[in-house]
Amino acid sequence: MSALSKKGVLLGLRSLISELRKSSPTGNMKESLIMRYIFEQYRKYKVTDEQLCKAQQEMNFLAQAYHCYLRSQREYEQLHSQYLSKGERTVKQTADMVGFKLPHDAK
Amino acid sequence: MFKRLISKRFANFSVGLSHSRDSVRHYPAPIKRFYRKTGILKSDGQFEVTLDQRKLKTPMGRVFSVDSEALALAVAAEWDAQKTVIVQSNMHLTGLCSTAIDNPNNLNKFDLVQKILGYIETDAILFQPSNEKDLMGLQENEWLPIIDWFNDRYTTKIQPTEDISPPQISQDDKDKIQRHLLSYNFAAVNGFAFAIESLKSVILTLCCVDRHISIEKAVTLSRLEEEYQTEYWGRVEWAHDLSQLDLQARVAAAVLFIHLNSSLHFIKSKQMAAA
Repeated sequence: MSALSKKGVLLGLRSLISELRKSSPTGNMKESLIMRYIFEQYRKYKVTDEQLCKAQQEMNFLAQAYHCYLRSQREYEQLHSQYLSKGERTVKQTADMVGFKLPHDAK
Repeated sequence: MFKRLISKRFANFSVGLSHSRDSVRHYPAPIKRFYRKTGILKSDGQFEVTLDQRKLKTPMGRVFSVDSEALALAVAAEWDAQKTVIVQSNMHLTGLCSTAIDNPNNLNKFDLVQKILGYIETDAILFQPSNEKDLMGLQENEWLPIIDWFNDRYTTKIQPTEDISPPQISQDDKDKIQRHLLSYNFAAVNGFAFAIESLKSVILTLCCVDRHISIEKAVTLSRLEEEYQTEYWGRVEWAHDLSQLDLQARVAAAVLFIHLNSSLHFIKSKQMAAA
C-alpha cells in the first residue's frame, strides 16, 4: 500500500464514525468508549518526524477492516430482515417476488 | 362446561389451521437485550467486558477476558449494537474471542496449524480450469499476481493447476508457511483458521493479513467464479449479496482479531540518526 494522504486518513475516520453511529442504539457518540479510543489512536499515530509511517498505515488498515465489519453487518441485517426474517413464504408470495402469476389468478 | 370445552377446541383448531396455511416455522426465541450500557474493566493486565454491572461470560462459563483493550472495546460495542434482541450468530468478534478462551475442540496451536496446512493443497485460487476461456482469462488476470506476490513474500514456489489434480506443494514450502503461522499466538491462529475456512484460501488470507489486499478485494477474489456467473445470469440480492456481506463480515472480524492479538500494531519509534 502506498503512502497515505491526510485527506484519505480523514475520510476513513469519518466513515468509521458514521458506521459506529449507525450501529449504536442511541446514536449518541459522546459517551462511547470505543470512539474515545479511536480518537486517541488517531492522535497518537499522527505522522511526526519521530515516528515511522508504518504504524499509521497499520492503524488505517485496522480502521478500514473495522469499517468493513460494521458496514457488512448492517447491510446484511437490512437484507435479512427484508427477505428472510419472516419465515417461509407462501407459493403466491414467492410468485409475486419473481414476477410470476399463479394459474388461477391469471387473466 | 362441555360447550366451553368444544368452543375452545374449535378455537385451537382454527388457530392451528391458519398457522399451517402461512407455514410459519418456529425458531427458538432470541434473547431480549437485558442490559442498558456496556463497558470494559481492566484486571490483572487483561480486559473484561461488562453488561451493566455484570461481567460477560463465555458459553462455557469462563470470564470473558482478552489481552487487547481495543478488542474488548470492539466486543463491548458489538453487544451495545444489539438493539432489541441479541443475535449471537452474527457476533463474529465475540464468537472468535470465546472460541479462543474456551477452546471447545481441545486443540493446541500446533494442531490448528496442521489443519490449516491441510487446506493449502485445495486452496481456492490454485484451481484454474481451462474449459471456459473467459473465466480462465479473468482468473489469470486476478489470481496470478496474488500468487506471485505470495511466492515472493514467503519465498515459496506454489503453482496453480489447470485440471482436477491438486497442485504439488513441496514439504519445504509447507514448512515455511508453518513457521510463519507458528510465530503467532494461539488466539491469532484461531483467527487464521476462521478466516481460511470462510475464504477457502490460505493464500488470500495471508495476503489480507499482510495488508497486501483489502478485505473487500479478498472476498471478491475468493468468489470470483460466482461473480463471473452472476454477471451472465443475473444477481439475486437475497442470495448473492447476502452471502458476500456475510463473508465480508467474517473475514473482517478474523483480520481484526488476528491484528489485535499480535503485537504488530504497537508503536515503533524511529532510531535517532546519530547512532
